[in-house]
Amino acid sequence: MKRILVIVKRDIKSGLRDFLVVYLMLAPILLALILRLFVGGMTASPLRVAVLDDGSAIVSELSRLTHVETFSTREALVERVMRIDDVFGVVVTPEGHELIAHGNEMPGTDIVLRNVLRRLQAGEAVLPVSVGVRDINYGMSPLKLQGGLLLIIFTTVLGGMLILLNLIEEKMSNTISAMNVSPASKGEFIIGKGLLGFATPIVGSTMAVYILGFRDFDIAMFVVSLVSLASISLVVGFLIGVTNDEPISGIAAMKGVYVPVLASVLGAMFLAERWHFVLYWSPFYWGYLSMNAILLGEATWRTIIVNSSIILAITAAVFAALRPRIVRGLR
Amino acid sequence: MITVQGLSHCYKKGGPAAVKDASFEIAKGEVLGFLGPSGAGKSTTQGVLTGLLPLQTGQVNVAGFDMRHPKRELYNLLGVSFEQSNVYAKLTALENLQFYAGLFDVPTEDPMKLLALVGLDHVARKRTGEFSKGMKHRLTFARSLINKPDVWFLDEPTTGLDPAIAHDIKGIIREKNQKGATIFLTTHNMQVADELCHRVAFIVDGEIRLIDSPRNLKLQYGERVVEVEHTADGALKTERMSLSAREDQQRLNHLLEQGTVQTMHTKEATLEEIFIAVTGRGLS
Repeated sequence: MKRILVIVKRDIKSGLRDFLVVYLMLAPILLALILRLFVGGMTASPLRVAVLDDGSAIVSELSRLTHVETFSTREALVERVMRIDDVFGVVVTPEGHELIAHGNEMPGTDIVLRNVLRRLQAGEAVLPVSVGVRDINYGMSPLKLQGGLLLIIFTTVLGGMLILLNLIEEKMSNTISAMNVSPASKGEFIIGKGLLGFATPIVGSTMAVYILGFRDFDIAMFVVSLVSLASISLVVGFLIGVTNDEPISGIAAMKGVYVPVLASVLGAMFLAERWHFVLYWSPFYWGYLSMNAILLGEATWRTIIVNSSIILAITAAVFAALRPRIVRGLR
Repeated sequence: MITVQGLSHCYKKGGPAAVKDASFEIAKGEVLGFLGPSGAGKSTTQGVLTGLLPLQTGQVNVAGFDMRHPKRELYNLLGVSFEQSNVYAKLTALENLQFYAGLFDVPTEDPMKLLALVGLDHVARKRTGEFSKGMKHRLTFARSLINKPDVWFLDEPTTGLDPAIAHDIKGIIREKNQKGATIFLTTHNMQVADELCHRVAFIVDGEIRLIDSPRNLKLQYGERVVEVEHTADGALKTERMSLSAREDQQRLNHLLEQGTVQTMHTKEATLEEIFIAVTGRGLS
């Protein structure tokens, strides 16, 4: 145990002096913060209106209800509507009102605005309006859920990358030979190197989901699923680490390995369920299913144990196949 | 302390043997020099003896441990200094030694003391990525001493070092040997071997051709000759005289009595000359 901790301490110390490793450790948190900005925009989108100011009462009436920008010419108003954010244009016509939209506005908000304008025209009182949009089968923003899931998968991949970078550092400096003539066993070396690969996804993913605002999920199920998912990244990280001699080739190999793996996650998101059998080979598919259920608060321990067992079985099979190559590379 | 019987090693199955049927012993407190040109099998032998390479054929026992299945406890007793320096570039010299010290179960040396020993104490807190090749080599050497080893493997310990530092390193090796360390030294530097080793083994093409003490080898293969520079008729002359031929002995006495001798050197064979005579091969 003492030697394992010594190895972990060295890796942390060395890692904190490497920009790439520091970035990999912080990436889940940074990405979660960025995603959080988008999620905030999706979950709270007030109605905003640009109005052609022709002296009519519509400006003051709409200003009571929402944020209103005024323009003196139609061209200026259209130019404002065409910008990237959600703003409807309103022009008073002899028949009533003309609504100008860009097409990127939040679905349903045009209906709300038309209703408000019709009531104003009819002289009916309009109280402040609050509108909620809910897609069928979604209890939360799809962006928040799918973004969070992809971030968790990405973070487990980063754990593997940390391992491979540490191993490549050992290879580049030929320090594995020095380790091999010390009392540290191969098992202690592998566990010492692997612990960081486990800790990074657990800490990074937990922080990321909290930043994204997930609160009501089972943390024990979450950690169990992460550990099983991180195990496959660890095996792949070790294999690529011992077969590459410098960081760029190692990262390139990691990307090559993970393209089909991440494709399986996208398959789980977008393929019809009857086609999911083509994804059963991928541990990340099972990890995605577990995490999806956990974040939606629908997971049961039975599902988590079954999915995690499948992931660990695939990992064990991969490790058994690659073990001779990994052990040879650690000499 | 080390027993090797019929050691052979191949890097590829069915390929040529890098070491062929090597047998030798090293007594406790002895320094054995393994001498040979590059590719002779020196590092392969050391690799098997330290457990870095698997033992394929033969029997090897190091400090009481069978090297067919070496136990990790063995490494509490071994120190290995590699020819190619291998230290963590992002750690300082002190951190490198502290890390390595943490891996052992036996009392270890004070890292600062070791750094002072190899003249690196003034850069103890500097990252080794900024070190010169020689400094890294000294740090690798110092690290091999961290667990106060009983058996010390040294691979080209003075290669690439400037003469003053190499002199210091040789002094450290002598001192540790006097304190009881058994040393297996591989080198192609005959002078280093001559200065440090109780016995030397000549290895060529994976085969040990000869093992003996440098003194015995010189007596066996060298000529008892003295080279004398003296003045005669105002000119400097050089003569080689045998110490065993009566005529040459008389001639040497005559020159000494005349007081014209300026320099005089015994011309026993060097280890390099003996190596060439025995193996028919040079060292480089």
